[in-house]
Amino acid sequence: MSTDDGRSGLPPEADERIPRGWARHPRERMLITPIIAGVGGLLAFFTVVAIVVWLPIHTFDPPASADWSPLSNQAVAGRNIFAANGCYVCHSGYSRPQDVRNALYFLYPKISQPGDFFGSDQSPNLLGTERTGPDLSQEAGWHPDDWQRAHFYDPRFVDPMSLMPSMKSLFSDKQVEQLISFVQMRSGKSGLLRYAGQLYSKHVVITNQGFPPAPIGFEGAHATIAESAEPKVPAGQIPEVPNLAQIDRGYWLSGDPLPVTPQNLLRGKRVFLERCVGCHGIAGDGKGPGAKFMTPAPADFTSADDACCGGDTGPGDFYYRILHGWPGTGMENFGDRLTVDDIWRVVLFIKTIPNHTLDRNVLPQPKDYITWQPSKELLGWIATRQKMTSNASFDKKAVTDPFMQEAMRMFPGLAAGDTFYINGTTETLSLTAARNAIRSIYFDLLNRAWAQAKARGDKLPPVWQKAIPPEVPGQQ
Amino acid sequence: MAEGLEPSAAVMEPPEPGRYLRKSRLPFPDGAAKHWLISSIFWLTVVDLFGLVLAMEFVSPEVFGGVSWLTFSRIRPSHVNGVILAWLTMMYFGALFYMLPRLVGTRGMWSERLGIVTCWLWNLMFLLGVIGLLTGHSQGREYGEFIWPLDIALLVIWCANIVNILATVAMRTLRPIYVSVWFFIASPLWLAVDYAIGNAIWRPGNIWGAPSGALANSLSDAMLNWWYAHNLFGLWLTPMLIALTYYIVPRVTNTPLYSYTLSLVSFWGMAFFYTGVGDHHILQSPTPSWLKTIAEISSWMLLVPVFAFTINILGTMKGNWDKFFTNLPLRFTLTAFFFYFLVNIQGAFEALQPFNRLTHFTNFVVAHAHLALLGAFTILGMGVIDYMVAQIWAKPLWSRTLTEWMYWLVTIGFTGFFSVLTLAGFQQGLEWEQGVPEVNVLPQLHGYYIARGIFGAMIVLSGIVQIVNVGMTIFTDTAERGRRETLAVAEAIAPPVQA
Repeated sequence: MSTDDGRSGLPPEADERIPRGWARHPRERMLITPIIAGVGGLLAFFTVVAIVVWLPIHTFDPPASADWSPLSNQAVAGRNIFAANGCYVCHSGYSRPQDVRNALYFLYPKISQPGDFFGSDQSPNLLGTERTGPDLSQEAGWHPDDWQRAHFYDPRFVDPMSLMPSMKSLFSDKQVEQLISFVQMRSGKSGLLRYAGQLYSKHVVITNQGFPPAPIGFEGAHATIAESAEPKVPAGQIPEVPNLAQIDRGYWLSGDPLPVTPQNLLRGKRVFLERCVGCHGIAGDGKGPGAKFMTPAPADFTSADDACCGGDTGPGDFYYRILHGWPGTGMENFGDRLTVDDIWRVVLFIKTIPNHTLDRNVLPQPKDYITWQPSKELLGWIATRQKMTSNASFDKKAVTDPFMQEAMRMFPGLAAGDTFYINGTTETLSLTAARNAIRSIYFDLLNRAWAQAKARGDKLPPVWQKAIPPEVPGQQ
Repeated sequence: MAEGLEPSAAVMEPPEPGRYLRKSRLPFPDGAAKHWLISSIFWLTVVDLFGLVLAMEFVSPEVFGGVSWLTFSRIRPSHVNGVILAWLTMMYFGALFYMLPRLVGTRGMWSERLGIVTCWLWNLMFLLGVIGLLTGHSQGREYGEFIWPLDIALLVIWCANIVNILATVAMRTLRPIYVSVWFFIASPLWLAVDYAIGNAIWRPGNIWGAPSGALANSLSDAMLNWWYAHNLFGLWLTPMLIALTYYIVPRVTNTPLYSYTLSLVSFWGMAFFYTGVGDHHILQSPTPSWLKTIAEISSWMLLVPVFAFTINILGTMKGNWDKFFTNLPLRFTLTAFFFYFLVNIQGAFEALQPFNRLTHFTNFVVAHAHLALLGAFTILGMGVIDYMVAQIWAKPLWSRTLTEWMYWLVTIGFTGFFSVLTLAGFQQGLEWEQGVPEVNVLPQLHGYYIARGIFGAMIVLSGIVQIVNVGMTIFTDTAERGRRETLAVAEAIAPPVQA
């Protein structure tokens, strides 16, 4: 080591080559050489990598949660479309503890568990970093397929406030169906159960109201609005029976708790214009841009003796359908987005629509309000059915069978002993029939997904995991 | 030079360019640096425009009438990847190819030609990548969206640059290597490994789109994804910002760096603490708690190298602050330096669980990301480009007024952009805390989104001003006025002799 001036490692002739302005540190110790910078830098890097990359990857392998279910082949294809088109930049893929604490009701029914992400069909990760739209980890089953189709075609067709880009120029009909399949299967068994409930309700509703199946893919964009075939009412029943079966009987005859004031009506009109016109139309005639995708077709409120103010259209019925949605139709649950007061105000407003209150620059007035008059037949039928004792929601005995829970969620208006017929058929409408149908749809979906996952060579949990019954999480 | 000042009849004519300083007398060829720099300036405006498209779609989602390749979710990855890999990376390599020969005492890079070839390949690779993303070919992993063949291409080009850098360092004539060179050596190495591991290049999968380049276990993949994504900043963009600042500030102020020891702290602190912060992107996800704890602690320990760097630069600037107002590249650099300091303080708080619970998933995070990538890295890059264009082409910039415009447009544009999104983020976070669903918060954000679009347009304009200014500097004879003044002085001293 040279000891000329204590600058170890520096040849004396280097002095002339040092650029002007670069002064020496008085004590040049710990001089870094290229080897130290490169190799040392990498060593430091790999030390940390061993801790934060290698270690977690090799020690963290949670088993499948009880709620986990595999994706079908179609859903896997949909997942790849979802990933390749960057849907995760606005939609996260896991719900956090505080999401459930703050927004339990419908929006985030459960906290994502490590075991929910089991299986290689969950790769690549879609956890996401931003929520311009909602988290989608629990989305399955909340909306029927036809709603999803209209929403993918143009989200404003079903939600005028949405900022989501329209997908009409992005996907073929086949790809849309694959995407929908992914959305409906991504939430594990609890999501599959909701989806099975949707599928069964769809069957009941379109049979009962005499509608054809919904057009697939984006075909709805070129279709005409579906029309009802007016099926025959079974003997001994009134036409409203299957519809009432989907409304909690506590609401069948309830009135609107808010007074009919201009303020309430105006607020109702505003909310209607913000939320409802995509399907029900700017004129309230059920001919909104989203209507062509839907069966049954959205309700037309312009006629005073029909969907606005006829049979099963009491204020309580409207309230319940806005709050909870109407499973089987495209009507979604607005209970997660509107306050109770606003829902009642919309109900007030809807009953003024036949008097042209949706026209431009018209302030709805109390005189426009049409008071609901149930028919004698309806009152008579309800009088024999609406007993507190037979109302499932008053029964404090908890039902433990998840399929029965789902059946009761889809058909809250049915009592345990009720057996009716779906209009135009001899098909039974009862909680037991609904429970059995939902159960068989659920297992059909689950078994096919398992078989396809097995054929794909995916990692699967022990086979008894499949038999663990689904849970109905949160407040549903 | 003497014959140039010789009084004669010809001096009254405008002198032709290159008369007084011939190209062959320039000490550095800078071929590679020029290519990377010019490319980066164009990519800056392209990625700025992507950003503007996104901002407009936030205001009105149907503004482009459903053109498939302008769909938000396809532009967003192009914007993110473009900012990091096209604009900033090309700017950094340009700066590196300019600075490294000057710091290690070589006449140029080991191979300027290799640097030029990699520049063209990089441009081609990126062009293909963007076309891929816009047509729905993506791996679907955030910040690692490029499809597998392009990942490989990127790494090959990157390794060629590493070879070039290491070979240049090996043939240096100055034995001790300056602080910036430590980062020039280590940072490309870090990023190469980070990219290879983080993009899981050994798992190609479906090479034309999703799923590919991901671990089979989804949560492991998420941990790897965010470790990788954050190290794009931590091990490449940030070290290079530090290296460039360590070059520009002492160089422009003609002052030695304040402390060698603090430089050591900033280098090793960065290597140890920045590598482990990635998991703070998924703090409330169902991943191991101990890893989250490491990420939170690392995010705070990061302040050690940050403060070391800050003190080092402030110490170097002591007594030199007049140059902040007179020297534009320095003003850009120090503005970026200020935003860099801010982003680290903000990031440390953001990585804490209680704060993260409020701000995660909101526009607050978007504001934070722009504080780093726009406020710090981009503003630095614009200053560095102005500095280097003047140096490489050996003439003053075309218009100082335009440079001032560029500075104020990007600084005001960014500050407004950042403030608006931060407020929007708090608004979102607080609403969600009340259980208000996302869609109900959107109408409240409309005003913020409009303001963001306007501020964003200022940023785009700033990039276009730079293109004009740099273009005019290169293609016109901006040295002319200086020469005229010199000649006027010369004439005053020795009037032309009449024949």
